[in-house]
Amino acid sequence: MAKLSMRERYSLLTRDLDWTPTYVDPKEVYPYTRYEGIKIHDWDAWEDPFRLTVDSYCKYQAEKDKKLYAVIESFAQGQGHLSLTDARYLNSLKLFIQGVTPLEYAAHRHFGFLARHLDGPGPRFAALCQSMDELRHTQTEVHTLGQYNKYYDGLHNWPQMFDRVWYLSVPRSFIDDAMTAGPFEFLTSVSFAFEYLLTNLLFVPFMSGASFNGDLATMTFGFSAQSDESRHMTLGLGSLKFMLEQDEDNVPIIQGWLDKWFWRAYRVLGLVASMMDYMLPQPVMSWKEGFELYFEDQMLGGLFPDLEFYGIRPPLHVEAAIAEKDVVSHQIYWLLYQYCFGTAFTATVPDTAHLDWLSEQYPDTFDRHYRPLWDKARGIQQDGGRFFNLALPQLCQVCQIPVAFTEPGDPTRLSHRSSVHEGERYNLCSDGCQWIFEREPEKYRQAWLPVHQIYQGNCGGAALPDVIAWSGVRPGDGGEYLGSPDHVNWERWHAAGTAASGL
Amino acid sequence: MPVRSLSGTYDYPSSSRQELYGDDQLVSVHWEGNLTFSAPACFRAPRAMTWGDFKMQLVDPWAACDPDYDPSAPTGFRLDGDAFIPQPDRTLADLGVGHKSLICFRT
Repeated sequence: MAKLSMRERYSLLTRDLDWTPTYVDPKEVYPYTRYEGIKIHDWDAWEDPFRLTVDSYCKYQAEKDKKLYAVIESFAQGQGHLSLTDARYLNSLKLFIQGVTPLEYAAHRHFGFLARHLDGPGPRFAALCQSMDELRHTQTEVHTLGQYNKYYDGLHNWPQMFDRVWYLSVPRSFIDDAMTAGPFEFLTSVSFAFEYLLTNLLFVPFMSGASFNGDLATMTFGFSAQSDESRHMTLGLGSLKFMLEQDEDNVPIIQGWLDKWFWRAYRVLGLVASMMDYMLPQPVMSWKEGFELYFEDQMLGGLFPDLEFYGIRPPLHVEAAIAEKDVVSHQIYWLLYQYCFGTAFTATVPDTAHLDWLSEQYPDTFDRHYRPLWDKARGIQQDGGRFFNLALPQLCQVCQIPVAFTEPGDPTRLSHRSSVHEGERYNLCSDGCQWIFEREPEKYRQAWLPVHQIYQGNCGGAALPDVIAWSGVRPGDGGEYLGSPDHVNWERWHAAGTAASGL
Repeated sequence: MPVRSLSGTYDYPSSSRQELYGDDQLVSVHWEGNLTFSAPACFRAPRAMTWGDFKMQLVDPWAACDPDYDPSAPTGFRLDGDAFIPQPDRTLADLGVGHKSLICFRT
């Protein structure tokens, strides 16, 4: 039998398996693709640029898995966890498994939903492949980072933490917001805004951070997921252009979603900003530098001029994000430092060399506004104390981050907004979040804000230790790094290594 | 803009509405000009609590997390953006402090 070309195989094994329903109205078969107002005239215009079939997909992924699991095995055998730059590096991995891995799993679930509910066979199959990718990423992340769970705290209970811990409500509310939207809005939010527009600011810092800090296992996972991520990016842009090309009436709807989801995704990345600037003992690049390269140059400079052709302009509030690049990572890490009695990672005052690096990276703001805070915290620590902010913070109704940002252009003045809807006041952190709230107040007033839920008595009790235990966080997972179990163990293991080798 | 939904109707209550707190309400307090505290503190307090009790029992212990805090120093109060003169014997409700209000002060 003659061997089929890739194109023929793809056609036979995907689109040719589709049929047009005759005795049931297509609107009943695909009930979700009309109510958002997006008009699709020709589903076949969606081209999957990769023409994957299930057998080729599985073969390709199995090869990558084989390589990854070989590295994980040798990592485990060779005590790879001792090769890290420092145990403080683990905080980056804790944030990743607690905050990013559950997003992969949620994306797996929802792309599975799209694989059933999009009308066209091409996009359904693309969604199926992405659903499998996201599940594979969840698994490989768990297996990779699980290596560290044998030795370090804070990695043991991430699904429960994702549902319950206060700072993880930031990524969780993001994905809940996307999954409760319609399929086209989901594609705009996750496939485009997250997987295309901002993916390099999410993925690259963690994987480069691994590479710079001696974490061979996570770096290898990064390589194993990289080609999938490129495919997700291509599909993200492809799905956006498909929607824009189908009908002119789609353009303003999509512009509104872009305005919303840029800001939603950007706020989630605030956690990554603080990771890049503070959690890596050996930093890769500053948040500011990454933002300029991956967002300002590549997206604002490269992508958006291209999208102008479709009548799409850069998202609203992009200027505010640019204005924040000198301050946002410092504000978020300072926040995490003072509330880390309730986090599942540790925090500490950066050492002098790290503070000097931050001064160099942020010459306009760091010495003036943030270095004095670290000096003050270090002073308190030298006197035997530790600065904790022992009250629950006011949270933003939309992004769910404590209201901790400052007015654009004035790093000394809190940016606080409030909106009153049907007689109730809602507090917000920025013009971007306020704009999102006022666009759909009926949605955001239902937000499960951890602080409000704690005060309602829904989180394990009234005392902080009860709430923390209910969240799945154990003593030692969070708090001050110096003197923490991770710190003590790290010192002990390395002292033992030095003694054994006779140095 | 109303939420577009499959059923066409979409109306669910706020998850933080005042009735869920009984006779209490949420009140936030922000120390302006002091970057030490990242965000306003949010308290649950009885609507019938006097300002004096609110400040002494909730605001002062929180603000004292900063060793530079002097309980007699707060001044220039604002309530939800407007000038505000707290009176120790009057209740939060009397003073117009509402559910999820924000009180700011300077030192």
